[in-house]
Amino acid sequence: MKSHDKGSLLTCCLAAALGLVLAASPVLAADKAVKIGNVEPLSGPSASVGVQGKQAREMAVEEINAAGGIKSLGGAKLELVYADSKSDPTVGVTETERLINTEKVNLMTGCWNSAVTYPATQVAERYGIPFVVPVAVRDTITERGFKNVFRVAAKDSWWVRDQFRFLKDMQEETGTKLKTIAFVFENGDWGTGFAEKWRELAKKDGYEVVLDEPYPSTATDLTPVVTKLKSANPDIVMLVSNAADAILLTNTMAEMQVKPKVVLASGGGHADPKFLENTGDTAYGIFDEVEWNTDVNKPGAKETNAKFKKKYGYDLTGESVDAYASMYVIADALERAASTDPAKVREALASTKLSTGPAMIVSYDGVEFDKDGQNKNAGIVIVQVAKIDGKPQRVTVWPKSARRAGYTPVFPANK
Amino acid sequence: MTAVIQATLNGIMMGSMYGLTALGLTLIFGVMKVINFAHGSLLMVGMFSAYWLIKLTGIHPYLALLIVPPVLYVFGYYLQDVVIKPVFKAERQTREPATVIIVTTGVWYVLDNLSLMLFGAEYRTVRTAISNKSMALGPYILSIPKFSGFVIAVLATIGLALFMRKTKIGMALRATALDREAANLMGIDQYKVYNIAFGLGTAIAGIAGCVLIPFYYVYPSVGVVFDIRAFIIVVLGGLGSIPGALLGGLVIGLIESVFSQFMASTWTEAIIYAIFLIILFVKPSGFFGNKQDW
Repeated sequence: MKSHDKGSLLTCCLAAALGLVLAASPVLAADKAVKIGNVEPLSGPSASVGVQGKQAREMAVEEINAAGGIKSLGGAKLELVYADSKSDPTVGVTETERLINTEKVNLMTGCWNSAVTYPATQVAERYGIPFVVPVAVRDTITERGFKNVFRVAAKDSWWVRDQFRFLKDMQEETGTKLKTIAFVFENGDWGTGFAEKWRELAKKDGYEVVLDEPYPSTATDLTPVVTKLKSANPDIVMLVSNAADAILLTNTMAEMQVKPKVVLASGGGHADPKFLENTGDTAYGIFDEVEWNTDVNKPGAKETNAKFKKKYGYDLTGESVDAYASMYVIADALERAASTDPAKVREALASTKLSTGPAMIVSYDGVEFDKDGQNKNAGIVIVQVAKIDGKPQRVTVWPKSARRAGYTPVFPANK
Repeated sequence: MTAVIQATLNGIMMGSMYGLTALGLTLIFGVMKVINFAHGSLLMVGMFSAYWLIKLTGIHPYLALLIVPPVLYVFGYYLQDVVIKPVFKAERQTREPATVIIVTTGVWYVLDNLSLMLFGAEYRTVRTAISNKSMALGPYILSIPKFSGFVIAVLATIGLALFMRKTKIGMALRATALDREAANLMGIDQYKVYNIAFGLGTAIAGIAGCVLIPFYYVYPSVGVVFDIRAFIIVVLGGLGSIPGALLGGLVIGLIESVFSQFMASTWTEAIIYAIFLIILFVKPSGFFGNKQDW
């Protein structure tokens, strides 16, 4: 009996040990989730964009995990750990510290606000944790020689750069030659900042500046500005306007029969949905720039937007597309790194060459970081207001690879 | 040169409409000796009334001129009767009652925030039969809504001046303006006169609303933009002077339009204030201001 007891005890032990080993392997795989810290403004003044970014990331992570996770890590799942920055740089910094030290995240992403991203990336750099910035546009975020910061979206100054690229490309495409240019802009930080860069680039591209006109955004009447524009008679008019003045300027130009060959706006007031409602016919032909448009001619863009809209009830925006794409950039890097070691992930991120897959619903042609971690290929979309089915619509025209299928841009707009 | 003449034409048209927005303010001040801080909000009410009337019924914007001003007259009449009069009575001893000014500020905030609650902060324009239409006059272009605005502003100013001189109510208004006590003794009901003055001032804001809506947009705090100009115009033309309001408006409109042909339009604002100071220095009571009130 005794020996029998002993024997059964041994069997029991062996069985238990075997069971443990058997059980342990799936436990180990599940343990291998990759934690990604995400600091976003989830409350406060920018909460709506923060939530949009969060939802876009969630959808991307669900897709990645459903497709089998990170295969080189044994199917490890991505796991997002959120923290609310409240759009406050101080909170952003403490939350980043907490995510890295307490939550032990493998990577960081965020933070939408440039003011938060700037110091938060500094924290990550100190700990050597890779930080993927989908969108926070301040130029200097990727101009500090950091090793661990990677930005997917275009930087601020590229908005102006792309306006001039667009002008050049379109002139080549249509065989037109435009010589004179006029700058009309609101006299706040935003407008004067753009104008400064315009002057530089216009000189470089050999345009003759015939009018350089700031105006107060609160003006009751912009006819004086439009009168000046009429006598300057430029080929191209570049605009930076807030909502009300964009409407007033467009309508007054129609009234005064000012018809430049190209009108190119810079988002803001011209991108406000109220703009088209309040201008109607007078806005046709105007070009405007945005990060992304729902009609970009990229594989999967339509389907992804439809899926997102069904899930959350609204369209993707440029910023949420960047957030969505960033998760695929991270997944791609992890796959190639085959490790969660920050240094290895960093190396993988630095050698990213992503030009296919679900992330490529972005308007530009791929993700590839320069030595400062800025995506070299990032860019802006130019749209044209056109009459589609009797209604004004914003149609993507540039870059050519993203142009809406079957649409020929009207350039110059007023022949 | 073409641009300068074009700018002059535009300055005259816009200036006359600035004058129109100041006309109600100067009338109310002339009679009641009260700076009506709610004037911009009354203009906003006028613009919203015109906006909704045209938007919902689709009538011609100048047909709205027959409906909006009378409605605003009644609104202004009872606003004064119910809200402002009690304060006036309490302050009867002072010549220029300060509390009433504070009450008008209260009215301003209430009206602006009410419309913010009701209509939201967005900019609204309504497409009318004359929106964005213009006519050519040789090499010059006249915007049709602005040109008709000019005609209406001049007619309204002449009409009000005649009304003040020729009609019995007009004379009662002037008498009260001259000397409240004496007019009272002559059997003029001071508070009724105030109601009428406030009603008229509001009705004129209604006219201005109908004139502006075909080419301008409306939003809850739109009055503030015009209000600051209206105050300068009223002081420039002479507080309480009817032709002064039109002339002051024309001066502002011309400076704004013509000067900006020679410099960045952000500068004209500064020029307006500089010229304003110079004129007040030379003629402290404005163009048509008397040392005594009229």
